[in-house]
Amino acid sequence: MDKRFSSMFGLSEAESILLLDTPLGQLPEGQSRYVAACELVNFPTEAAIQALIRAVQNPNPELDNRIVRRKSIETLGRLSAVQALPMIRDCLGDEDCYTVENAVWAIGEIGTDDAVLLEQVAQLLETPNQTYRVIIHTLAKLGYEPAVARIKTFVDDEDTTIASAAMTAIARLTGDRTPLSQVVEFLLHPNVYTRRLAIQDLIDAQHDEAIPAIARTPVSLVFRLRGIRMLADAGTGNAGTNQAKSAGIDIDRLNFATDIQPWLEQVLWDRPEDLTLVHEYDQPPTLEFLINELYQTDFGRCYLAVKTILAEHREIAPAALMVAYQEKARADYGGHYHVMKLLGRLHYEPAFELMVQEGLNNPQPQFQKSRFAAALSLGELGNVEAIPALKACLDSPIWTIKYAALMALEKLGDRTAHDLAAQDSDWLIRAKATSM
Amino acid sequence: MKSVVTTVITSADAAGRFPSSSDLESVQGSIQRAAARLEAAEKLANNLDNVAKEAYAACIKKYPYLNDSGEANSTDTFKAKCERDIKHYMRLIQYCLVVGGTGPLDEWGIAGGREVYRALNLPTAPYVEALSFARSRGCAPRDMSVQALVEYNALLDYTINSLS
Repeated sequence: MDKRFSSMFGLSEAESILLLDTPLGQLPEGQSRYVAACELVNFPTEAAIQALIRAVQNPNPELDNRIVRRKSIETLGRLSAVQALPMIRDCLGDEDCYTVENAVWAIGEIGTDDAVLLEQVAQLLETPNQTYRVIIHTLAKLGYEPAVARIKTFVDDEDTTIASAAMTAIARLTGDRTPLSQVVEFLLHPNVYTRRLAIQDLIDAQHDEAIPAIARTPVSLVFRLRGIRMLADAGTGNAGTNQAKSAGIDIDRLNFATDIQPWLEQVLWDRPEDLTLVHEYDQPPTLEFLINELYQTDFGRCYLAVKTILAEHREIAPAALMVAYQEKARADYGGHYHVMKLLGRLHYEPAFELMVQEGLNNPQPQFQKSRFAAALSLGELGNVEAIPALKACLDSPIWTIKYAALMALEKLGDRTAHDLAAQDSDWLIRAKATSM
Repeated sequence: MKSVVTTVITSADAAGRFPSSSDLESVQGSIQRAAARLEAAEKLANNLDNVAKEAYAACIKKYPYLNDSGEANSTDTFKAKCERDIKHYMRLIQYCLVVGGTGPLDEWGIAGGREVYRALNLPTAPYVEALSFARSRGCAPRDMSVQALVEYNALLDYTINSLS
């Protein structure tokens, strides 16, 4: 699990518990019980779990308490707190649909084979205004086959994210993989959440055949990399091995060089021409408009802008991008990423130092994808002075940065770090290093 | 895009009937509040950058350790990370004020958003804190009329509730 942000508020276990136990009206100025409920995820102790259970049992209906209850349930799920299961079960009847959603999700995380409890979860499919997608996920994850008929009623849901989950669950619970072809089609849906969540569904179904389609999906590469990585781990015996074995799934079905590497590296290069874009312009946009599109939260739109900048504005784009960087992109993690990529694609040599200092070596967690963007852009520039900085990235705990650094070093003709990378603790990095 | 009007018409059409009197009452209620909503929408649009900046600055001030979270070492850019997201939610809130319903937030911000935050283990606390600050910061008649502030705060509450 990615824990970059898990302890961002820096509270100790004792501080968090004290805060969580404080009645709403007596909170010290500026303190938040919600934050305390988040922070306790870092402390898998009985004291923390009991404090979270007490928070869930606080019946105060005010918004400030409601959100603390929900977050506490989520944290108990993350801590796999089996002892909290009876209390979480009581939350399935809560009138707040988000509390119910978090309770269902937490049950999925903790795990159970209690048929009565699973039936209670399944019955929520017949309760109005619930988060059906999460309910369906949990039932599929816990293998509750008696829910199949009820899940089938959601395959035509007008909410495509629910339909996608239902199709996936049916495939998982019945073994009939036919519905997954429709889930693959959702990767090109106009709604960005449908596209993102279809990737999650294909991961859940371990639908390896979808890897090339996932690589071409017009969403942020974060979602595509996560999808391919999780499928790669599962398909090579590097994740969930015991679970897969007991389910009779072949855990050694994917080959790194043929089934994983080409698509993974295509995603890391992240070139819009390798994506199937779902947006288009009705008239030729100005460069100013295009640069502004780089800040969109739907990366599908950003990629169309990147593609158009590369096709129509190659000459004047670098200077405009440098201005945009200083004015806005420097502080916007989405825009920052696209500028780092574009400057590499445009072979803009004057940005070398910027790519090293504010891209490759950017220390802030929210700019993580800019780091591997910068690594590859440095590879595109072809300046061998980047080699020491790229080699230093091989010490990073973040696999995407290491992998991108190896790709960039390959592009610069340097193989001296590969022996080291061949000893890496991560099988994927070892596979990359030994494949070159 | 769902609004009170589209919801009423869609359900009437699905049942092959005319809108009922209670349907019309809810449309009427929405129309009566339209002036307040549009006032809030206009004020928010004019001041979006400041509202987002101020909300996140308050969050940073309240939790100074955010400044050195992880390996972070630059306050300005860290703030800006969340400013980007808070601005996104503020924009959706503004759309909701215009539409007269929570459709834009539901469809573009919340549906799926909760799952993504959970799956990627992204923090919701800074958003909740920053939006809570924005809710307590709004002041009538300094920022907008009392009625406009009611509409704006209701959507802030809705967003806090849905994201947390």
